[in-house]
Amino acid sequence: MSLALAGIETTRGDFSLGPLSLTVEDGITTVLGPSGAGKSTLLELIAGFETPESGTVTLDGERIDGLPPEKRNVGMVFQDAALFPHLSVAENLRFGAPEGTDVEGTVRTLGIADLLDRDTTTLSGGERRRVALARTLVTDPDALVLDEPLSSLDAPIRRRLRLDLRDVLSDLDVPVVYVTHDQEEAAVVGDRVAVLLDGTICQTGTVGNVFDDPATPTVARFLGVENLLEGTVRERHDGEVTTVEIGESTVLVEEAVDAGIEQATIGLRPAAIEFVGGPDWENTLAVDVERVVPGRNGATVLLAADGLGRLTARTDDRTAEAVTAGERTTVAIDPTAIHVFPRGRADGR
Amino acid sequence: MTGPGPWLLNRVRRDGPVASVADRVPVSITERGDRTLSTPGATGQRTVIALLGAVLVAYLLGPFVAFLLEHGLPTPGAFADPAVRSAIVASLVTAPVATLLATVFGVPLAYVLARYSFRGKRLLEALVVLPLVTPPVVGGVVLVSAFGRLTPIGKAAAALGVPLTQGYAGVVLAQTFVAAPFLVVTARSGFASIDADLERAARNLGKGPLATFREVSLPLTRGSIVAGIVLTFARALGEFGATMLLGHPPETMPTRIWVAFVAHGTDATVPLVVALLGAGLAVVLVLRLLAGPLEFSP
Repeated sequence: MSLALAGIETTRGDFSLGPLSLTVEDGITTVLGPSGAGKSTLLELIAGFETPESGTVTLDGERIDGLPPEKRNVGMVFQDAALFPHLSVAENLRFGAPEGTDVEGTVRTLGIADLLDRDTTTLSGGERRRVALARTLVTDPDALVLDEPLSSLDAPIRRRLRLDLRDVLSDLDVPVVYVTHDQEEAAVVGDRVAVLLDGTICQTGTVGNVFDDPATPTVARFLGVENLLEGTVRERHDGEVTTVEIGESTVLVEEAVDAGIEQATIGLRPAAIEFVGGPDWENTLAVDVERVVPGRNGATVLLAADGLGRLTARTDDRTAEAVTAGERTTVAIDPTAIHVFPRGRADGR
Repeated sequence: MTGPGPWLLNRVRRDGPVASVADRVPVSITERGDRTLSTPGATGQRTVIALLGAVLVAYLLGPFVAFLLEHGLPTPGAFADPAVRSAIVASLVTAPVATLLATVFGVPLAYVLARYSFRGKRLLEALVVLPLVTPPVVGGVVLVSAFGRLTPIGKAAAALGVPLTQGYAGVVLAQTFVAAPFLVVTARSGFASIDADLERAARNLGKGPLATFREVSLPLTRGSIVAGIVLTFARALGEFGATMLLGHPPETMPTRIWVAFVAHGTDATVPLVVALLGAGLAVVLVLRLLAGPLEFSP
């Protein structure tokens, strides 16, 4: 089974989605994006609650974009579960199930046998999600879309439920599109990730591929590469090592940069900046410590680097205690954690 | 929450010959007025607020008490008067028909107003509530202009043997015109309070638009619709101004009260006033019963 969107464009008020193409094979693809990126609109296009102005939606090669929602057989799990409050759990489960459907297997898989006689208004958030998923699965959908199904739950329940969800969803032999704004959730639940920013799919790939190797500075920034600096490629070494000049310093990067590219945007994750105190290390930058902001696990340190402007570093508590606002110090950059984006790409900046 | 709250009790007004416009404007049924103020201190301020409220309660109840003290309850014999009987029959035949018409056409209209977006929607919404904010007698005048004996519709209906004025048909037209907005406004508010995802979930689970309306939208709005029906019935039963212009005669209970009052004073109105008071109390009771069990938590 394969779900494909091709050349999709739609406008809703000031917001426009697309042009956008996405192919989802069997397995779980998480669509990751901030609020307002168009994630829900994307699912509504697939499920039939929104009509594209152009482009096609196909399921196993058959166009479904002209069909009403009830004829698509695309199951949807809504953000707040959308259980019918006037029906019991069992009645919710049977609501869309064809006559004679055996719901027992699904009920067992999702561990909701004890809930069948309950009034849906008495269920906990986690129970509501399980019932909502079961209600969709008993209709035997050809594809499944989930709209931030865990977003309104408390963190501990969310963490537990996303593992359970992953187990259930990965056993399905249909394409699953799972929308979330939570990067950890996207990584835990998904086999593949599509990054949706400002109405456009900016990158798709395996979880490792997308998180470790963001395709553009925009994607990188969204995925937590907070420091984006202007740099110049100075030297290419053997293997995948490049010398890059940023500000008044040169740093080594463990990444091959295509020949002919000189100007680049350099991405540094906050955790890739290490406080080393002195200049006796490689890959160092001289910085002024502007502010130390303690957090739950470690601290955020705001730095001003010579000729580079402000940098954000993340460090553990012990290191943070040794760093004082106002002091001048030296930081080292992890060469394996630097991203080089050749400038001149569509969203290069 | 889709059921009516206790505030609805305050909205039940069987306006007689003269009722203020404000009495006939319902507010959103999602409002609730049953929270108690239990903050400590400020007793003096609470007393002032309570006293102000008590003044109005005294004013609202006083006339009823005065009426009953002066006239007492009517004897069964008082209802033997053929004019009184015929007025009761006229009201009990026409008001349910008007309520039925308002429901059959008003519930779909309420759904359209709650769920669909289209050009001219605001204008339509304003037109729907116009009968609520204009005096019923004005409604009567415009109805005569549309359905009077000399109008094309009036002539055609009379030729078919169903005169639209001075008969039950005229009374029903007048009652429906004045009372139907109550149903539309109440039901609309009920439909609007349903989470749209519930209807979308039904569509996603294979139900067409009509099945979704029947199996999800309607049951979830039941409380609001029943409240709207009760209010519409009460309003139709008490309709006077438009009925006088379009339907009279026959006499309904309110028009009979007016005729009796003009001819013989308050003594002659007692049986029908008490009957309508009883009907009003029944409506209040029904709304009170609806306020509880028909509410759904979101």
